Amino acid sequence: MRYRRKIAVSDILIILLLISFSFLCILPFWYVFISSISDPLKLKSGDVRLIPNGFSLAAYKAVLGEMRFYRGLGITITRTVIGTAFGLIIQAMTAYTISRKYFSARKILSKLIVFTILFNGGIIPNYLVVQRLHLLNTIWALILPMLFNPWNIMLLVSFFAAIPDSIVESAKIDGANELVIFFRLAAPLSKPALMTILLYIAVRHWNELMDGVIYINEERLKPMQVFLIELIMRSSVQNMVEPTENFVSVLSIQTTAIFLSCLPILLVYPFIQKFFVKGIMVGGIKG
Amino acid sequence: MNRIKLSKFIKQAYKERYLYLMTLPGIIFMILFRYLPMGGLIIAFKNYSIRKGIWGSAWVGLENFRFVFTKNPDFFNIVRNTLQINILELFFAFPFSIVLALFINEVRAKKLKKFIQSTVYLPYFVSWVVFAGIVIQFLSPDTGIVNKIIQIFGGQSIPFMQEEKYFKAIVVLSDIWKGAGWGTIMYLSALTGIDQEIYDASKIDGASRWQTMWYISIPGISDTIVVLLLLRIGAMMDVGFEQIYVLCKPILYSVGDVISTYVYRVGIGNAQFSMTAAIGLFQSVVGLILIIICNSICKKLFSKSLW
Repeated sequence: MRYRRKIAVSDILIILLLISFSFLCILPFWYVFISSISDPLKLKSGDVRLIPNGFSLAAYKAVLGEMRFYRGLGITITRTVIGTAFGLIIQAMTAYTISRKYFSARKILSKLIVFTILFNGGIIPNYLVVQRLHLLNTIWALILPMLFNPWNIMLLVSFFAAIPDSIVESAKIDGANELVIFFRLAAPLSKPALMTILLYIAVRHWNELMDGVIYINEERLKPMQVFLIELIMRSSVQNMVEPTENFVSVLSIQTTAIFLSCLPILLVYPFIQKFFVKGIMVGGIKG
Repeated sequence: MNRIKLSKFIKQAYKERYLYLMTLPGIIFMILFRYLPMGGLIIAFKNYSIRKGIWGSAWVGLENFRFVFTKNPDFFNIVRNTLQINILELFFAFPFSIVLALFINEVRAKKLKKFIQSTVYLPYFVSWVVFAGIVIQFLSPDTGIVNKIIQIFGGQSIPFMQEEKYFKAIVVLSDIWKGAGWGTIMYLSALTGIDQEIYDASKIDGASRWQTMWYISIPGISDTIVVLLLLRIGAMMDVGFEQIYVLCKPILYSVGDVISTYVYRVGIGNAQFSMTAAIGLFQSVVGLILIIICNSICKKLFSKSLW
């Protein structure tokens, strides 16, 4: 609109409400950050509110000196890297075949996939399957069950469907098989969508708690989220805190570990945020 | 006749061998981790013992269900908690996202709009462990921010995480806090689909902001609202495991224990596989029925199918 808009009361009201909610959404991260660098004693006595009080990296020393933190981080990184790489390839290939209208198994396959969204066996049968496959207490229990994801596949189908069959046909006439077409043509054309799904899978792996709780009992295989929750529930804090000279309160250690665990996400979030949004929005419109 | 059909099928399959090859890994993992567990639900009709295995355990018919429905005192409790939390979220969290999306849509300054969107999506990307950990700290009676504020205004500090009456409110509010921003995304994408000219025309006609919201924006996203509402109702028997697992301490089980956490704790923790598998089957079947009903309503009213 060319003419100048008046700024109405409703504008101000809406923006104020939105900004307060924005503030509320950043607040937790700000809070754990300032708590983690504040003086542990001041934090413990409740004297840390919205600005850091005192400065101490003692909690970082304690967390970063803890074997279990690195072990959890290692397991989480491993599962995220392997799970995301294979998950993306497997889901994208399946989605591509379903998006080809000439594929004779297309209908039955997409029905089978959608049905897994509507109905599932539940926790106990899943546990028994993982147990019977001898995956309990192996890192594969954290990777293999998540390789197939019906939501991601259906989202990818809507993207691949935008690639016309005619392009594929002409590539075929030139002698390319479907596998070559997928990797050389379809995948590069759908890069933004694949990027969205990649990030989706990666974040899911990074944050997943439930499978670690259910399938993993061995200390050395516990992923970071399980380490964190044990820390938050205080069961494992006692061993970590040395009550003698360099006292670090439980609270400081918890906030520090929480902050460190979401630091990677906070750091990459500004750069990858647009991929999440674009991918979902386009998928949403088409789907 | 059949032989001709078969050979035709084989020919076709050979022609499409690369497509089958590509879809094979996905299908294998789908069968292993989605369909095999569905088959594993037969233990709900057996008296499963680890020693005898799934096939060796004795059939007991509907005994597990009879026990769950008539003799298990926890069952009524966990179903009630699950439904209550879902209904509360339906009434508060669901409309919250719609209003948030409508408001964000009203912001004309592009940079500000982007900033608001980026910040409200953020909590969605951290785990429930992290988020609930923060919630617990905020609500702590000695050091939490919330109680500090209460004390500033002269109130008594409240041990929020210890008392039953606050638990469901905490679950719903933390759910809004973490998920409402991300929940706007489908509405925002529907809102961008509305023709800008309609808004301009309404302004020339002198419509107020609230009128354009009510008569243009909301009708423009009504399809999306209905679809998401039906999906939400279809998930009525599900409450996310992780949120409850992190927030709910044993003293709060009477108000906070839901189907998923109970099935995990009693089923795997106490090795009561058959009884909890029966609960899981009940949950899945009710969920399936709900979503089928919702879908047929959706088809009738909007000639739109979820699948």
